[in-house]
Amino acid sequence: MLRDVIDVAYHKVVKTIPLEKREELSDKMIDALLVSKNEDKMPVGLANTILYSWQRGLLVGDVGLVALLEAAVLLEPERTMEILGVELQLTNTTKKVKEVLMKAEK
Amino acid sequence: MIMVLIRMVRFGIEFVPREAYWKTIYYAVQAEKRGFNYLWITDHFNNRNVYVTLTVAAIYTDKIMLGPGVTNPYLVNPVITAQAVASLNEAAPGRVVLGVGAGDKTTLDCAGVEMQSPLTAVQECIDIFRKMTSGESVVFQGEVFRIAGAKFFFKPKGKIPIYVGAQGPKMLAMAGRIGDGVLINACHPKDISYAVDCVKKGVSEVGKKLTDVDVAAYTSFSVHENLKKATKAAVPVVSFIVAGSPSVVLERHGIDLKAAEEIREALKSSQWGKAFGLVSPEMIEAFSVCGTPDMCIERITQLLKSGISQFVVGSPIGPNVREAINLIGEKIIPHFKP
Repeated sequence: MLRDVIDVAYHKVVKTIPLEKREELSDKMIDALLVSKNEDKMPVGLANTILYSWQRGLLVGDVGLVALLEAAVLLEPERTMEILGVELQLTNTTKKVKEVLMKAEK
Repeated sequence: MIMVLIRMVRFGIEFVPREAYWKTIYYAVQAEKRGFNYLWITDHFNNRNVYVTLTVAAIYTDKIMLGPGVTNPYLVNPVITAQAVASLNEAAPGRVVLGVGAGDKTTLDCAGVEMQSPLTAVQECIDIFRKMTSGESVVFQGEVFRIAGAKFFFKPKGKIPIYVGAQGPKMLAMAGRIGDGVLINACHPKDISYAVDCVKKGVSEVGKKLTDVDVAAYTSFSVHENLKKATKAAVPVVSFIVAGSPSVVLERHGIDLKAAEEIREALKSSQWGKAFGLVSPEMIEAFSVCGTPDMCIERITQLLKSGISQFVVGSPIGPNVREAINLIGEKIIPHFKP
C-alpha cells in the first residue's frame, strides 16, 4: 500500500523534470546505482522495471525515471540529492523528493 | 586477406556474476545495444549461478548469443549441463552456445573435487552433451563418466554450438577436432599464434578447415581514454594471471620467474598491495589487452592477424564497466565493421 503511494508520489516528482534534463539525470542515476555498494537495498520489482525499461530504451520515460529515482533514493540518497540539487540544479524536483521521503517516514 | 578477417571479427564480452543480478544484466543489455555478438558468463560455484544469470539475460536481450564461458564437467555432471543449456535454448532459441573446459583448479580444490583426466573428461562431456541435446537415450561407458540410460522427457530443439575452453596444446588440438569453437585464454599475439597452430593441428586431423572453427581470444581487457587509469584497473587481474601461469608461458614473455613467485606468495597471504605493486609493464603487456581505444584497436588487429575470429572482452573491461562498454561500442567495434 505504502509502495503504491510512494510510486504515485514519484510519478508526480518526475513530471517536474524538464525534458532536456531527463537523459542526463537518467545517466547519472544509473551510474550511481551501478557503482553503489548498497546493492542489497534494491527491491527486485524496481530492478526488473529498470531492466525492462532499459531493454526497451525507456529509461528517460516516466516509468523508467520513476524506477531509477526510487532506486537511487533507496541505495544512494546523498548522491541522488547531489545530482538533483547541485549538478542538475533541479531545485523544485529536489524539494518534491524530500517531501516524498518525509511522507514515507511518517 | 587480413582485411577480410578483420571484417569478419565478432566481439564477445565476459561477465563474472559476482555482483547483484541486475548489475550484470544491465551490462549485458548494454553490450547487446553496443554491438557485441556474444555474452559469456563465467561458472564458479562461489559467484551467482551461471544458468540463473543466463536465463535472466536471455529474457532481457533479443539477439546476442549467450552461454556459460566456461563450465566444467567436474562440478556439473554433463547430463545436467545438457539439461540446463537445452532449457536455456528454449528461452533464447538459436542464441545459446556452450563453453566447456577443464575448470579452474583453485576453485575445484575449494570444492574438494579432483581434476581427473581433464582432456578425457572434457571430450566425454561434449560427447554426452551432443547425444543428450539431440534427444538420444544415452548409455555411455567412458573413462570418467558412466551414464546408464539418460533421456530428456522433453524434446531439445536445434544444434547448440560447443566452444572448448583451452590453453594447453592437447586441449587446443582437441578443440579443433571436436569443437565448433575454441576459447583461448590469452591476450598476446605470441600466445595466440601458438594456440592457433595447435588448433590447426586438430582441425587438419579430422579434415576440417580452421575457418570451420570460431577461434576466440578470451582476454583480460581494460580500456579508458587515460592510459594510467586503464592500466591501474588491469593490474589486479594480471597479478592473478601471472600467479597462475606455468613457467613455460612466463619465460615465453621474458618474465622473471622469481618476480612471479613473489606475486604468488603475496596473493596467497592476501598481501594485495604488495602483489599488485610487483606487476611490471611486461606482465601487463603479456597478459592483458590494455590501454586507450587506439592502443586496444592495434592489439586486436595483431590478434586478428594471428588467426582469431572472435575477440572476447573479459575482466576487468575497464575502470568503470559502463563507460568502458560505451567506449568499446563507440570507438573499437566500429573500427572492425565494414
